[in-house]
Amino acid sequence: MDTLVSVRNLSLTYPNGYRALKDVSFDVQAGEFLVVIGLSGSGKSTLMRTINRLLEPTDGQVMVGGQDVTHVAGEALRHHRRSIGMIFQQFNLIKRHSVLHNVLYGALGEMPAWQSMAGRFSKEQVDEAMRCLEVVGIADRCHHRADALSGGQQQRVAIARALMQRPKILLADEPVASLDPATSHSVMRYLEVLNKEYGTTVICNLHFLSLVRQYASRVVALKGGAKVFEGMPEEITEEWFRAIYGDEAVEVEIR
Amino acid sequence: MSTPRQRLFSAIGGVAIDALAGAYAGLILVRVVVPSVLYGAEGTGPLSVEECIAMALGTAGCVLLGLFGAGIGRSLLERPQRSGWQAVVTANIGWFVFALTVVAGWVYARIDPSALFSAQGLQGAGRIFSALLSPEFDIIGEALRAMVETIYLAFMATFIAVPFSFAISFFCARNLMNDAPHRRAIYVFLRFLTNFSRSIEPLIWAIVFSVWVGIGPFAGMLALVVHTIASLTKQYAEQIEDVDHGPMEAIAATGARRSQVIWFSVVPQCVIPFLSFTIYRWDINVRMATIIGLVGGGGIGNMLIQYQGLARWNEVGMIVIIIAIVVWIMDVVSARVREALK
Ligand SMILES: Nc1ncnc2c1ncn2[C@@H]1O[C@H](COP(=O)(O)OP(=O)(O)OP(=O)(O)O)[C@@H](O)[C@H]1O
Ligand SMILES: [Mg+2]
Repeated sequence: MDTLVSVRNLSLTYPNGYRALKDVSFDVQAGEFLVVIGLSGSGKSTLMRTINRLLEPTDGQVMVGGQDVTHVAGEALRHHRRSIGMIFQQFNLIKRHSVLHNVLYGALGEMPAWQSMAGRFSKEQVDEAMRCLEVVGIADRCHHRADALSGGQQQRVAIARALMQRPKILLADEPVASLDPATSHSVMRYLEVLNKEYGTTVICNLHFLSLVRQYASRVVALKGGAKVFEGMPEEITEEWFRAIYGDEAVEVEIR
Repeated sequence: MSTPRQRLFSAIGGVAIDALAGAYAGLILVRVVVPSVLYGAEGTGPLSVEECIAMALGTAGCVLLGLFGAGIGRSLLERPQRSGWQAVVTANIGWFVFALTVVAGWVYARIDPSALFSAQGLQGAGRIFSALLSPEFDIIGEALRAMVETIYLAFMATFIAVPFSFAISFFCARNLMNDAPHRRAIYVFLRFLTNFSRSIEPLIWAIVFSVWVGIGPFAGMLALVVHTIASLTKQYAEQIEDVDHGPMEAIAATGARRSQVIWFSVVPQCVIPFLSFTIYRWDINVRMATIIGLVGGGGIGNMLIQYQGLARWNEVGMIVIIIAIVVWIMDVVSARVREALK
């Protein structure tokens, strides 16, 4: 298999001096479903944002598709971000706008600014957006306002928006952390569909180990900004669990 | 708890505050309080020798007390828990300075309760209130026309100011401008400019523009435009600083340009509050336009000042009633509209 993402000795120190990532290295093969776990504050979100370069690392390297994107800027940076979809715990849709428009915004990176700001999306783009909505099963809600949808549906719209970018990689930052267990599974299954059927490489932060065991093809664990585990989901034994989450932790099931 | 640097600064600051407080107390005491009690008039002209000596003594005294731990400067800056004579002296210095200020204020404002209740005064009050309460209805047409002029003037000022405020506000929002040094510089500059022009009252702008373009509604409108741009920009910018950053991040993650990120994630979160601020501004501008009219900004204010100059109190009464009713209606309507927008 090809190495799609390669993170090498990555460190990130926030402007206030907090070291959120410390010398993290791992590779992601094309087609993997990599799950990143770790306590709150261990640097999972920071790691995601350095991969699609919403953040710039202070040290180390991020290679995507063989290209060094650690310090790209301007057009190259936008091109890099465009090739990676991202979904968030809080969905981050434009609440007052329609579902369809939210999906169309996935195409902003490939349009001239004036054209997009005048709202002139092409027929092809609208068709494409509708297809993306069909993939996540909410094409019938396309003209509703985004905030009229339930949490699970909003996350599916966010997935459709990411899909609109035709991404090689999908980053999911705790995509189900604000959803109930049943809805969590329905959202996770759409990520699985993208991964298995569309061959999208998925890098996903999760909190519940039961979800990790069900969906992950491989796991990386962070603790205090450093990588403490890398392996298969079934290798996370009791001891590893304590090492990652601390001695006080008790595993919670989500079905 | 605090760094040596901070301790040094607060020590210097404490001495400075003590020195200023002492100088202030000495000056007010010798220039205003004592003479007005003795001769019924405060000092005028340049500082006299006695006043300078009093200031020096006050300064020296307060700084000295401060060195013994009884200065108000340190207790303002550091709020230490003091007890014993230092606490008593500190509190008394504070109250003494405050009391001196109240006495000086009384002198400067020429407060004279006897004027309020003298026979002659009460007679004048009766005359004006009865005239105001029997308004002259003959001028109602003219007054309404002037009122309409004022409302349109306020509307036009708001309408012209909005696009400027909208455009500038994005450059005045810290959260959009702190990612590069040149952006921070623009931010600081524009903030300074809008804060500065806001601190100049529209009345003063009206005087400036009445010299520039001549007395009349146009000068009044220009004055309001300047003030409205400054005020709305601040309100808009604060709203922008309050937006949820999640959607901004999401749009940026699609590879969108900066302009697109702002247009598609910031603007949608701001339009309704912006509309609300704008309507409120129009409401405020109607009141301000009335006042600006008094210095030649046209409209109802201008009419009011003319009849006042002629001592035609019944006409003044009519105008005041119209202003009150219109301001009240605008207030209620704009509050309703803003409530509905939420
Ligand atoms: N902008 C920032 N400036 C300074 N420190 C930050 C910033 N963002 C995050 N941090 C700090 O970096 C650390 C890692 O944050 P991060 O959001 O990556 O953690 P996380 O693993 O995603 O946690 P969670 O599970 O709570 O989302 C935290 O301790 C956080 O306080
Ligand atoms: Mg996080």
